[in-house]
Amino acid sequence: MLLPLILAIIASGGERELIERLQRRDPQALAELYDRYGRIVYSLILRVVRDGGIAEDLVQETFLRVWNRVQGFDSEKGAIGPWLLAVARNRAIDYLRSAGGRERNALEFEETDHPALYSDMEHDLLISDKARRVKAAMAKLSPNQRQVIELAYFEGLSQTEMAERMGEPLGTVKTWVRTALKNLRDDLGAVVPA
Amino acid sequence: MTHDELQDHYELYAIGVAGEPERDEIREHLARGCEVCMKEMNRARELTALLGSAAAPAEPSRKLRRRILASVGFEQRGFGWSPVLAGAATLALAAAVYFGGREREFAEDAVRLRDQVRRQTIELTRLSEAFAIISGPSTTEAAFGQGPKGKVYVDPQRGVLLIASNLPPAPAGKIYEMWVIPKGGKPVPAGLFQSEPTGAALHVQPGPVVADANIVAVTVEPESGSQQPTSAPFMVATLQ
Repeated sequence: MLLPLILAIIASGGERELIERLQRRDPQALAELYDRYGRIVYSLILRVVRDGGIAEDLVQETFLRVWNRVQGFDSEKGAIGPWLLAVARNRAIDYLRSAGGRERNALEFEETDHPALYSDMEHDLLISDKARRVKAAMAKLSPNQRQVIELAYFEGLSQTEMAERMGEPLGTVKTWVRTALKNLRDDLGAVVPA
Repeated sequence: MTHDELQDHYELYAIGVAGEPERDEIREHLARGCEVCMKEMNRARELTALLGSAAAPAEPSRKLRRRILASVGFEQRGFGWSPVLAGAATLALAAAVYFGGREREFAEDAVRLRDQVRRQTIELTRLSEAFAIISGPSTTEAAFGQGPKGKVYVDPQRGVLLIASNLPPAPAGKIYEMWVIPKGGKPVPAGLFQSEPTGAALHVQPGPVVADANIVAVTVEPESGSQQPTSAPFMVATLQ
């Protein structure tokens, strides 16, 4: 299964060219984008919605959204992988919130996946070995610390919503979030310079 | 608020879940071009992107790629390699694998097409029932709306049609149930339905409608449905 991914990376001649081809509406570029990131995007969305069929619908929406908004992306400085994941996460959490009858903070999420925000980042961030290092850093967190990070990232809960969900005082939740983020930053220090 | 105090909130801001007053404070710093905040936000976005890539690996179905490309008007088989690489890869692959793959692909296509035809037949039947109700000479219609909005059409002989928008899918383990309520009578069950992720719903209950139908209502019920409503109706349409 790695062969198409490797060939896609070689054939694309780099991310900048891939973005420029997407901006020229080259459908083959969309195929290469999918080969490069489709599995990561699907894994993330599946983790949020926990239903394969719904996840595939949302993956399709994600790639179409990127296809339709890529004109606003900076091909020189932009890192398309992180942007793609931000769009995917927002689509999935938006679905989760609407399905659960929770208030949809659409404007707030909209602000987090604007293409202009994903510049000055390492282009191959998501397909380097750094994802593995993040997993290791997450595994080192205490169960409560890991849970609050997962509730925030994979379910889109604010600290107040986490406190309600977990039945814990808000102050305790804030402490877990603070400590978890500090530990992640410390562990990834070489990856994500503070 | 100092940057040290904001330190723990950049990642939360980056994923849209920061609380107040930190959210407004970061937004204000960014709006006035605060370089420290811009740098911190960049770092936070990288960290959150890495968190996203740390979800347990899962494999989508092989059809998804084709579906996505078809949705932008691009039909393609294979992996989308460049011609040179595709040629090299073709040489590298044995003919047996090719023929085996083709056979499997044809079998998968046949299953997919059968499934597609079955789903389209069901959908066509449903739409023709809906059209018959809308165009019936004795059909009455009524609108409802405040949140979920839409219309119901009642043909005493052909059945009841409900079309709604802005209706989120029912929560896990629950389903929507439509009721027809006659004047002075008890609600009569009129079928279970679920809305699309987009919030759209089209539900048809074919067949003769209970006499003196006065109200069409919808409630949220357990997945198996109920004989009588177990929750208050959130959609109520009164027929003329």
